[in-house]
Amino acid sequence: MSRLAARPALAPAAVIPVAATAAGLLLGAGLVAASGASVGEAIGAFWEGMFGSTFAVGASINRAVALTLVGLGFILANRANLTNVGGEGQLAVGGIASTALALHGAERLPLGLAVAAPLAGAALAGALWGALAGALKVRRGTNEVISTLLLSFIGLLMVYWAVQSEDLLRQPVTSAATLPESLEIPARTKLPTILADPSSPLHIGVLIAALASLGVGLTLGKSASGVRLRAVGLNELAARRAGIRDGRLVVAVLAVAGAFGGVAGAIMMQGELWILKAGFTSGYGFDGLVVGLLARGSAAGVVAGALLFGFLRSGGLAMEITAGVPAAVVVVTQGLIVIVIAGSAILMKGRE
Amino acid sequence: MLELHGITKRFGAVTALDDVSLSVRAGEVHCLLGENGAGKSTLCNVVFGVHAPDAGAMRLDDRPFRPSGPADALAAGIVMVHQHFSLVPTMTPVENLMLGPLRGRLRRDEVAARVRGLMKDYHLEVDLARPVGDMSVGERQRVEIVKCLIREPRLLVLDEPTAVLPPEEIGALLAICRRVAAGGRAVILVTHKLAEIASVADRTTVLRAGRAVESVEMARADMRSLVRSMVGRDIVLLDRTMAATLGVATAAAPHSTALPLPARECPTSSPETARRPEDALVLDGVSFRDAAGTLRLDGVTVIVRPGEIVGMAGVEGNGQSELGMILGGLARPSGGRVFVDGRELTGRPPTEITAAGVGIIPEDRQAVACIGPMSVAENLFLGRLGRFTRFGLLRRRALTAAAAELMRRFDVRGSGPDAPIAQLSGGNQQKAVLARELSVEPLAFLLAAQPTRGLDVGAVAAVYDHIRAARDRGAGILLISSELDELLTVADRILVIYRGRIIGEMAAEPGNREAIGALMSGHAA
Repeated sequence: MSRLAARPALAPAAVIPVAATAAGLLLGAGLVAASGASVGEAIGAFWEGMFGSTFAVGASINRAVALTLVGLGFILANRANLTNVGGEGQLAVGGIASTALALHGAERLPLGLAVAAPLAGAALAGALWGALAGALKVRRGTNEVISTLLLSFIGLLMVYWAVQSEDLLRQPVTSAATLPESLEIPARTKLPTILADPSSPLHIGVLIAALASLGVGLTLGKSASGVRLRAVGLNELAARRAGIRDGRLVVAVLAVAGAFGGVAGAIMMQGELWILKAGFTSGYGFDGLVVGLLARGSAAGVVAGALLFGFLRSGGLAMEITAGVPAAVVVVTQGLIVIVIAGSAILMKGRE
Repeated sequence: MLELHGITKRFGAVTALDDVSLSVRAGEVHCLLGENGAGKSTLCNVVFGVHAPDAGAMRLDDRPFRPSGPADALAAGIVMVHQHFSLVPTMTPVENLMLGPLRGRLRRDEVAARVRGLMKDYHLEVDLARPVGDMSVGERQRVEIVKCLIREPRLLVLDEPTAVLPPEEIGALLAICRRVAAGGRAVILVTHKLAEIASVADRTTVLRAGRAVESVEMARADMRSLVRSMVGRDIVLLDRTMAATLGVATAAAPHSTALPLPARECPTSSPETARRPEDALVLDGVSFRDAAGTLRLDGVTVIVRPGEIVGMAGVEGNGQSELGMILGGLARPSGGRVFVDGRELTGRPPTEITAAGVGIIPEDRQAVACIGPMSVAENLFLGRLGRFTRFGLLRRRALTAAAAELMRRFDVRGSGPDAPIAQLSGGNQQKAVLARELSVEPLAFLLAAQPTRGLDVGAVAAVYDHIRAARDRGAGILLISSELDELLTVADRILVIYRGRIIGEMAAEPGNREAIGALMSGHAA
């Protein structure tokens, strides 16, 4: 033990993820070549998709916002040794609640409430989704990994249901060609953009994510709740004996994590999608979970990981569209980066 | 057979072993005596290959012995029984034994036959049909010993094996050690109890603060000088309680404030007639059935009055743990009621119990009292963090300062309030737990369950002092212990629990020792 500790640290913590990302991208380039597309063209498109225009940068950051919120929810619950894998479902119910409120009434609210009310509704819906898993764990001992995952499927199917049924959120069916999706939400309920440049889609979601990151960072690092969460995560029995209401805390922290997911869903909906469609969550919940895992409990780590994934997604999309790289290669490259980062994290741990 | 020359081991700034030399011969029981923190466990771990020494050398059969891990030690014929057992609770002893050294096809019958042979040779009693999880601590320990002996070792290392045993099983364990040595094997036995050494050791090495201060043949040993070597002061200067914990106490005088109760049985003492509103604790017919449906507590009725220490004697596993869980609010009794200071607390949560003025020193420090990776300060104030919050943020500096003050008052020694509590020695951890539980204000009732288990002499005396001080301030105290000496020295009267029932009450007088011992093993007086 001490023999290993005596070794100097291999590299600052920040260097390894960067190196890992580079290695992952290199492997990805190899795959692009193997798929028959031009590597040069693909890299060009990749760069263009990430940083090529104010639109590209704004869209990438907007993607990172949703990932940040889901990732923050994950590390928050993870401090209490809870693994919330329900991001996808929490996004889904958030999106439903946000769309429903935006289409039915929020538009007429004064001031910023037209935007805020759907966001708040989504937070509530997500919180309910998370609290359900928490209550099941406290009351029945159901493992939260299982309950949050299954609740995710329910949430995703509820989106499908909502957009299939005219009684719910489907647009009025006028012909056989009417798509199973909602109407576009009214302009007043859409998230305002923050830059004067009209080509930038960057919206106020980024401020929400920044505030949330600050809040989570302070909660975990500097608040009594952070200490309590850690205590419950490390030793539930001792925490309870010391006077922490552990059951309440478990439900609460999963509710908060769920609320983060819900708000993320609303931000996706009110920020750029504007129309509720089946599968609108498109894996952001699971990517957010990966971001949370890679962050190893640090809010700043979540932000960094979310930005990385947000830009990668944008670059990947551009590669797919303009350079004709198969979508699968993009996904595989992302997976490779995750594996390399996670692997290097294990390596670093081994040296500590 | 095994020789250690100038072994030195440092952990960071702490020198755990300092130039220790000793030799172990085949066929002898070699005792390592010393207080907790003296380096006994570290020395065992060096021999077993867990730690590599920083300096010094070992020789096994006159050949250099440098194990790079336990596997090397095992290959060289050295086996070790650790303080914490490593058995799979849901498996039977034979299944546990098949996990480790044996490979390939499972030969259950063959293993069982070998186990039976060993049990017969060494008079080890183990129920082979039962899962290990259902066994008493003593029986589990015997399984561990069988696990070692089945390798036909040359050297058996036992790290504080008697610390976890009830009194009547200690003798049996020591006898096993003698038989193992009689077969030509060597035994290293770690202990801090002198009485054990006298009955089993051929030779004894005393460690103090990482140094081997004395190594003597027991035939020529002088108990007084051993004590002096071990604690660094003379036995006549020792507090009577400290002497008791060393196992060198002669007949202890009755405690000055002991109630002059005659020895009597009281299986049916009625709470309705005896209960008074000011009683510190009233347990009124408390029963508890565990998840498997076994009745663990059967109508336990106990009254503790303010300003008295009631001892509860009993071999471990007779319902004491369940009682502790119920009093701490971690389990709900299946029958009966609990009152503290006139307030009913049956099945209430821990926060409410603490608010009612109840301090709890749980028997399992690691599992219930401390959260190892968290700091001492966080552990001390976990339930009272609200006091150190401003605008939702924790005032770390105030927390640290308050913890430092509490640590000073209770003499908790360690690298500071912000170090993980797991880094403290067992005694200091226990003092930290005491500090937390005794700072409940106003303290009406204190449960101290096995409060001195595994602690060194100095810490034991401190724990007793704090318990007595709480008593003198008017709190009622229930002291659950399986150490009869402890109860006789500290308690005012003693109840005996057996199979979940209170089967007798005795005055805490040395003369009652035999009778209490008989009750503990279930023989009604």
